[in-house]
Amino acid sequence: MAFTLYSLLQAALLCVNAIAVLHEERFLKNIGWGTDQGIGGFGEEPGIKSQLMNLIRSVRTVMRVDQYFQKLKAHSFKI
Amino acid sequence: MQPGPGGGAAAGNARHPMKRRVPLSEPSLGDPHQLFHDTSSAHGPGSYVAHRVPGGLGYSSPLQPGFLDDPMSNMAVAYGSSLAAHGKELVDKNIDRFIPVTKLKYYFAVDTVYVGKKLGLLVFPYLHQDWEVQYQQDMPVAPRFDINAPDLYIPAMAFITYILVAGLALGTQDRFSPDLLGLQASSALAWLTVEVLAILLSLYLVTVNTDLTTIDLLAFSGYKMIGGVVTGLLFGKTGYYVVLSWCCVAIFVFMIRTLRLKILSEVAAEGVLVRGARNQLRMYLTMAIAAAQPLFMYWLTFHLVR
Repeated sequence: MAFTLYSLLQAALLCVNAIAVLHEERFLKNIGWGTDQGIGGFGEEPGIKSQLMNLIRSVRTVMRVDQYFQKLKAHSFKI
Repeated sequence: MQPGPGGGAAAGNARHPMKRRVPLSEPSLGDPHQLFHDTSSAHGPGSYVAHRVPGGLGYSSPLQPGFLDDPMSNMAVAYGSSLAAHGKELVDKNIDRFIPVTKLKYYFAVDTVYVGKKLGLLVFPYLHQDWEVQYQQDMPVAPRFDINAPDLYIPAMAFITYILVAGLALGTQDRFSPDLLGLQASSALAWLTVEVLAILLSLYLVTVNTDLTTIDLLAFSGYKMIGGVVTGLLFGKTGYYVVLSWCCVAIFVFMIRTLRLKILSEVAAEGVLVRGARNQLRMYLTMAIAAAQPLFMYWLTFHLVR
């Protein structure tokens, strides 16, 4: 059971990378998770799907600004 | 100077439970450098200081007689101590940015009576009736005065005890080596982190308006280590499975009853069946969180019994 904190960090890095490389037009729009399709109702109940879309969109926005993340990813997989 | 008697504060609190009942809202305003709320009696710090001084002088003089007579070394000592004081000031000013020290102090404000009752509740939660956390002017009451409040002392101690018990169990099976202790510690910590992050993510997705903080979730996740400790102490397959199933059911009931009041809306929490997609989702979430605890307890201990 060698589940160390370092492997947790690696897994988190891979997940964030996976969210960052999702292509908007080809993939998310096809399954209806595009960013322009979700901001429909400003009612009381956001629902799980819109929360998830918001989460993905905010992660992608942060990653777009943070180019340092790309270098970090490149370095960590050299180990 | 202060952290020493602070360690004995937990034992000292049991002797003075009546005196601390009045000042509830502001536990320690006097000394901003103080990390622990010192409630031991007045002769505690005095005896600590008295122990320190002869120890300090006794260390340097056997090496070289007249070491501190040279004025240059006097200046060096003064300079070094002023550097240390400056560094300490810097740390004290900035530590609030990284670790919320005042919030953490609330979670460690426990005494032996609370710890005893809470341990009993974790192992046998079936007779306890009232699971509400009492509030005092919008702030939850310190764990010392309310058994339902979460604390971090029990999970921290349980975690360390779990590592020691894991080492003991591995040693009796001739599978022990010192680096395995570190491995156990880091994997248990990693699983706890994964669980807390998963719970945070699911709370965000279901848009629950709750006052559960991250530290609360850390405390609740740490409570299952008590079960891990108790099961790890049993050597032998049948004893292990019996104790494990008892602890699993106990922690499941404990988590359901505690989280029900925090996650579900007030109406649904009182047992009235409220039909609605949101309440159903919240109930599923509570059940899932509570069911994950026995699973993790089993996962963390099954490799210790062969």
